[in-house]
Amino acid sequence: MSAQKVQAGATDGWQRGGAQAVRRRIVERLVNVACSIATVVVLFLLFSILWTLVTRGAAGLSLSTFLHSTAAPGSGGGLANAIVGSCEQTLLAALLGTPVGMLTGIYLSEFSHDGKIVSFVRFVSDMMLSVPSILVGLFVYLVVVEPAGHFSGMAGTLALAILFIPIVVRTTEDMLHLVPRAMREAAYALGAPGWRVIVSICLRAARGGIMTGILLALARISGETAPLLFTSLGNLNWSTNLNAPMASLPVTIYQYAGSAYDDWVQMAWTGALLITVAVLATNIFARWWLSRNGTASS
Amino acid sequence: MTKDVMMPQESMHTVQSYEQELEQLRSLINKMGGMVERQVAQAITAVVEHDEVAALDAPEMDPHVDELERQTEALVIRLLALRAPMAGDLREVVAALKMSGDLERIGDCAASIARRAMRNELLSCPISLTGLHSMGRLVQENLRRTIDAMDQRDPELARIVWQSDTAVDELYVSLFRELVTYMMEDPRNIGPCTHLLFIAKNLERIGDHATNISERVYYSVTGSILPIIRPRGGTFD
Amino acid sequence: MNTVLMDNRPAQAQMAPAIAIRNLDFWYGENHALRGISLDFPTRQVTGMIGPSGCGKSTLLRILNRMYDLYPGQRAMGEVLFDGRNILSPGIDVNVLRSRIGMVFQKPTPFPMSIYDNIAFGMRLHERLSRAEMDQRVENVLRRVALWGEVKDRLNASAAALSGGQQQRLCIARTIATRPEIILLDEPTSALDPISTARIEELLDELKQEFSIAIVTHNLQQAARCADRVAFFYMGELVEVDTADKMFTAPHEKRTQDYITGRFG
Repeated sequence: MSAQKVQAGATDGWQRGGAQAVRRRIVERLVNVACSIATVVVLFLLFSILWTLVTRGAAGLSLSTFLHSTAAPGSGGGLANAIVGSCEQTLLAALLGTPVGMLTGIYLSEFSHDGKIVSFVRFVSDMMLSVPSILVGLFVYLVVVEPAGHFSGMAGTLALAILFIPIVVRTTEDMLHLVPRAMREAAYALGAPGWRVIVSICLRAARGGIMTGILLALARISGETAPLLFTSLGNLNWSTNLNAPMASLPVTIYQYAGSAYDDWVQMAWTGALLITVAVLATNIFARWWLSRNGTASS
Repeated sequence: MTKDVMMPQESMHTVQSYEQELEQLRSLINKMGGMVERQVAQAITAVVEHDEVAALDAPEMDPHVDELERQTEALVIRLLALRAPMAGDLREVVAALKMSGDLERIGDCAASIARRAMRNELLSCPISLTGLHSMGRLVQENLRRTIDAMDQRDPELARIVWQSDTAVDELYVSLFRELVTYMMEDPRNIGPCTHLLFIAKNLERIGDHATNISERVYYSVTGSILPIIRPRGGTFD
Repeated sequence: MNTVLMDNRPAQAQMAPAIAIRNLDFWYGENHALRGISLDFPTRQVTGMIGPSGCGKSTLLRILNRMYDLYPGQRAMGEVLFDGRNILSPGIDVNVLRSRIGMVFQKPTPFPMSIYDNIAFGMRLHERLSRAEMDQRVENVLRRVALWGEVKDRLNASAAALSGGQQQRLCIARTIATRPEIILLDEPTSALDPISTARIEELLDELKQEFSIAIVTHNLQQAARCADRVAFFYMGELVEVDTADKMFTAPHEKRTQDYITGRFG
């Protein structure tokens, strides 16, 4: 700004800046508009997906969807086997992955003075976070399915768990890092041993966030198709046997949607709606949970 | 601030306005010291030389000294409340408050001497004023050195002045005896001698206040207190 | 130098100090943070530690309960004698040590649990008490920190809901609940408003009947108000330690004088 402008501004302070101020206001307006448009586009996309899903999917939704297993084209049937298969594999994967993920997260956060090991583990975990899910499927295929000679629900569960773990590791570590150092020190200062500080203080303070992370990870794996294609394969019949091929909603959708039969395509839409609603519900629940328990409280 | 040997103060306050206020306090006290010094000199001149102009001077300056004392007190209270002085600063501020009181009392004594100086009994008095003269000179000298010690924050000078008040006390006692003798010799001397006694008493008081100021200076600069019992000269027993 | 200055506190000189530090050196990695510190913490007195940021006063406090153990690369050499033993020696059980030398931090740090559990947490670590004994102790310590009246109806509510001043008093209650002999306070009121601060200071005055207290503070007035003895640290060295009277009216060292009167640029 030239000296002259400063002097001119001195006569009337509110005119300070002159043309520059005008330009600043215009830029601000432009940025606002651009952001609003982008938001509208995203919202439009989201709602059009939801709208398509609801209109297409709801048509096939009935009680029999939940009561009957998949059947040959033209003969009705439902998605019961796929729903149960999905639930079984996802929940088992979560059950398997949560302790492993949490313990690793705790290790990364609380034993950080192990320097090299910690940064190596963190690196591996972050890599796993970004590995394409189909690669995980292939890996489990090579390690479990091929030696066993058959596809199985167990293999699917394992593949999902591998996707699940790094997410939990990440959230656990991040949430534990948010626990103030002073709070840990205060617990140590009372004479608490390390494990006690971690369990009674740190995990307790971070549990809202960790819980949310677990729920979000659950939502994430419940929609995975690729890792299941080579592992649990899918099953047209009702089966809860982990040692046999097992149906799941994403795989069923994948198979049905590409088929030539109208009622199968319809069923695929219905399945997609079910997954979406479940994931959405989990997300909303997780957020609500976080807002209630996220900060340190009893 | 040239002779600060005991506790050099070359470092300045981080808060400059605080430094300025302390500086203002020092200059108030110094101004008061200068004024009081002149009052005492004029009062002694008035007595010894029967100088009428000098006699008017001391009482006239009295209100100004009072005003300075009031300003000092206000500034000290302000400093204590707003700056919460500590350590050396605290000692200096409190010392300033007490010294301003002593200076004001010295001014009162000087004014009181000057008021007596022009009384007829004294003007026509046959008694020799030599003793009073030398006591006045000594008190004046002590006061000057006290004020120097104060200006220069010189604890060593302060301690010397503090000790030399003994001589003033001795002079006062001998002057007292002398005047009492005059009064016993001739009752007509009672009038002027009483006035002279009061003047001597006032001079002795000025010496005491100067001693107090020396004590303050010493404590303010060094942080340690001179013993309570000062060497005293001249007793009446 | 002068015996006249007003020190009317009972003479504590005969009593052995609660903690005696001898020739203590401390390093943060390569950084020599404390040099040759020798300092006594008299029993049942408040020892204030003052000095500019980074002078080592907080570091010293964190040595006394071996808090520095939590961080690699920090090491101490010398002697810190407490109850007949050098607490720096490897044989010391730090958990027992920390239960005997409690610490209160700058920011109130309520644990993410109820008010009751906050206090019971430390007690449960070291003692096996019945529910009734526990209740009694919780009530006692809350009364001592003058918090009982404010929280007695909501002991099971979250401690996070308390105000900053209340939280800090809760932290002090939590510390004294483990019955320490010494309490270390690291700028305990720097995050509090003046009234909460005054309450904590009042509390310290009462607590020193029973505990030996070491307090680090940036607030000189606070050190003057609370401490019986004050130690001045500068650049990792103990410059001077004396009674609070002496330190704030006539410190011996020029560096102390400069710091206390605000003459550090």
